[in-house]
Amino acid sequence: MALARFRSLLTPLLALLLLLAACGQTQSTSFSSIGAALSPGATPSVAPSVSYPLTLTDDAGRTVTLAAAPKRIVSLAPSNTEIVCALGACGELTGVTDFDDYPASVKSVAHVVVQAKVDAEKVVAARPDLVLAAGNGLTPEAAIKQLTDLGLQVMTLYPKDLDGVYSDIRLVGQALGVPQLAQSTVTSMQARVKAVTDTVAAAPRPRTFYEVSVFEGTIYTAGKDSFLSSLITLAGGEPVTGDAQSGAIQLEELIAADPELILLGDASYDPTLATRDKALATVRARSGWEKLSAVRSGKVLPFTDDVVTTRPGPRIVDGLEALAKAIHPELFGS
Amino acid sequence: MRAAAAVTPRSLVGGPSLTKTGVVLGGGLLLVLLAGTVGLALGSVGVGIGDTVAILGHRLLGVPAQVTWSVPAEQIIMEVRLPRVLTAMLVGGGLAVAGATFQAVLRNPLADPYIIGTASGASLGAITALMLPALLPGLAVGAGSAWLGVGVVQVLAFGGGLGAVLLVSAVARAARGGAVTLLLTGYAVSSVLAACVALLMYFSGNHLGSIFAWLMGALDGAGWRNLGLATPLVSVSLCLLLARWRRLNVLLLGEAQASHLGVDPVRERMLLTGLASLATSAVVAISGTIGFVGLVVPHLLRLATGPDHRLLLPASFLYGAALLALADLGARLAGGIPVGIVTALIGAPFFIWLLVRSRRVPVAES
Amino acid sequence: MTVVGPSVPVGAAQVHAQVAVATRLAFGYALPGGRRREVLRGVDLSTAAGELVALIGTNGSGKTTLLRLLAGTLRPDAGELVLFGREAGSYSRMDLARRVAVLPQSLELPTGFRVGELVTMGRLPHSRSLFGATRDDEEAVERALRDADAGDLASRYAEELSGGERQRVLVAMALAQEPQLLLLDEPTLHLDLAHQLNLLETITRLRGERGIAVIAVLHDLTLAAAAPRVAVLDLGRVVADGPPDEVLTEELVRRVFGVAVEALRDSAGRRRLVPSIRPQDSGVPGAG
Repeated sequence: MALARFRSLLTPLLALLLLLAACGQTQSTSFSSIGAALSPGATPSVAPSVSYPLTLTDDAGRTVTLAAAPKRIVSLAPSNTEIVCALGACGELTGVTDFDDYPASVKSVAHVVVQAKVDAEKVVAARPDLVLAAGNGLTPEAAIKQLTDLGLQVMTLYPKDLDGVYSDIRLVGQALGVPQLAQSTVTSMQARVKAVTDTVAAAPRPRTFYEVSVFEGTIYTAGKDSFLSSLITLAGGEPVTGDAQSGAIQLEELIAADPELILLGDASYDPTLATRDKALATVRARSGWEKLSAVRSGKVLPFTDDVVTTRPGPRIVDGLEALAKAIHPELFGS
Repeated sequence: MRAAAAVTPRSLVGGPSLTKTGVVLGGGLLLVLLAGTVGLALGSVGVGIGDTVAILGHRLLGVPAQVTWSVPAEQIIMEVRLPRVLTAMLVGGGLAVAGATFQAVLRNPLADPYIIGTASGASLGAITALMLPALLPGLAVGAGSAWLGVGVVQVLAFGGGLGAVLLVSAVARAARGGAVTLLLTGYAVSSVLAACVALLMYFSGNHLGSIFAWLMGALDGAGWRNLGLATPLVSVSLCLLLARWRRLNVLLLGEAQASHLGVDPVRERMLLTGLASLATSAVVAISGTIGFVGLVVPHLLRLATGPDHRLLLPASFLYGAALLALADLGARLAGGIPVGIVTALIGAPFFIWLLVRSRRVPVAES
Repeated sequence: MTVVGPSVPVGAAQVHAQVAVATRLAFGYALPGGRRREVLRGVDLSTAAGELVALIGTNGSGKTTLLRLLAGTLRPDAGELVLFGREAGSYSRMDLARRVAVLPQSLELPTGFRVGELVTMGRLPHSRSLFGATRDDEEAVERALRDADAGDLASRYAEELSGGERQRVLVAMALAQEPQLLLLDEPTLHLDLAHQLNLLETITRLRGERGIAVIAVLHDLTLAAAAPRVAVLDLGRVVADGPPDEVLTEELVRRVFGVAVEALRDSAGRRRLVPSIRPQDSGVPGAG
């Protein structure tokens, strides 16, 4: 009786489900095939336009479905904000973090993340069509889950290197419906990178130590195989690296590595490292650091462009250029 | 009952037997030498034994030698490992003696040197120093600054530790209680200071990892300058404490009896906690808050040596020194983790095992 | 240098004939709320070398307070206390500890110490060497153990001792201070009869041999009656002071202690006080 009725509905229901799945599958296949074609150096063929509804896979492997081009965007990391603005959608931002400061116009947007804490209520209040989170725990997983459970479309971006940044820009370009703008942004970035790598290609590579922070002997630097270490390599230096996960390095290891150049990425936050003279005096006073080649030859430089080096967005190339200039001042005239 | 008085051997009249004293102190000395040797020989970077011995002989003993080793190797041995091992010994020994003192004065076998506020006060000082550029940007002072050769972190940590102890003493004195009041006041003040520390940590952003390392206790910052600063303070305090062993014993008889033996219990308690706090603050200022050494070492030693402080205090110094040097070696070999984690991971289970095993804990309850 | 008789110098100080002279001593405790509880209201008491005085009184009469004043751990609110010929306030705590020892009421001893070590603690006021025991110290400890009849206990741990043994150890600890004045704070409280008598015998011997003046706070009137001199404290004053036969009259006992006693003669002809207790009958009406 009831069972029979259920069974009679079952077949058309199943057919409908299969049909929808197939449609979804087709669309995501077509876009992920484009993604797959974005290999390093290759100039991909980009679809001139994007059709909605759109399903994309983010860097965390989760799928995001957009019914239409997002008109309201919330960004949970400064690098994401910069990507959105580079793609001309600055005006669509309804929520950013308290660390966002570029371009200047985003400072007036509401803060939904304060001191790295995601305020779910504020995010919901911003009524976003798309939320851009950061991966690797920078946006806490619990927060991402909470927002997803609330029915929001959360796209996680986690670029591990320059190519990752390019693909993220393209991904967001897809999401916003401006794939060609995304591609041209990437192309100009690639050109600038090539200019740097060409310039430093023949030069010797100094052993470069990028100081993230030092406090009472606890030293943090670029981790092994990290984004920062790849940038240093591209900029023509040989990076001294620390632990792959935390970036910590022991003093003994630093001494054994004997860097020829020290870049103080914490110079913006520490008045004792603000100028070249002060920085050299401060670093020389650290016990065990005096005999490092860099300290003996005075090559201890405050590096105040750390913001661009640590934001994996369009300005990362600015960071690369700043690094290259610091590592090879003789090749990049002042 | 009226048996003829037996001849009392001199050693029993005077204190623990010479054999026991010899074994305990000799064993401690051996352990210190072992820990020092191994600590110098091993580290995260391999330096060959031959080179190590040659460097030490050349730089310390003036043995003339052909320099066959690399500059980094010499740097590592002389500027990193040697001061670090010595610092570990000073810190471990200081914490153990301070812990033994607090356990006697507060009549509590679970007391540690931080119990009346030193840890939280020093932590607040050190982290404030780290956050100075953010808190008081106009001051142009950062964690790397030094005033008259003393690092800003050391000044604020030392001051914070002592300041907390003074605050706790003042409050406890106003409450007119004895040892228990002091303990409770210490707990209360520590909690408030710890909350302030937590607040600073919340706003610390990228500094969180460094702060955590310091709070767990890390000897990464060990160097000749810090060692030179702390050694006089710690040595003087410890020597004065060791010299007062009779009074520490007498305090175990109770306040009334101590008084009748010529010791003012209130003043003596103040003096002893003052000296112990001085040593503790000096040690924390250069090593962060390393836990367990000050609690476990004297406590376990007492099970072996008995409560007589003439033996307990020097033994605590030796075994505390050796143990922390060994723990630090473990920390370095494990990837440079904070040594406080090692002492906690090893100290706690060992302590539990020994408590379960032993049937008596010889500290006075009068 | 040791004391063998009442008039031999002890160190640099002369043993005074009058060990302790208290004149009109007054003392009160501050209570919360600003009130005071006056405990001693003008006590006159003096003791000479070699004397034994039993101090008795009801609970709260100020016996322990008086003892603490005599030991120097409390300072009187009014009145004068002269110890060994000098004003009590002029001595430092350590100075006093070299001359006055207190046998405490409690029999507690810290665990983990051997008896020998505990008795050595009594040498603190006299200790001269920084880390060891001098020859003098060791001899003094051995002597103290002998005198207290505790020589066989020296290597035993404190926590293993019985009540009577602890008492002997405490006596040895007090004697190690080589005191000229020994104050006993209800020492027989925790002891059985045999040990009580033993203690009294030891003290009598020490008085004779060493000329130590002893003031013993006792609660047992029978024991007090065995002392050569009894001082009775009532409402903060010494109301009677002298030989027990004269002091411990039935009237005084009734007035001070509120108990009816009868004086009887024992087989040796000594006077004994016996409290008049009504025999407890079996509860059967009409019996007894």
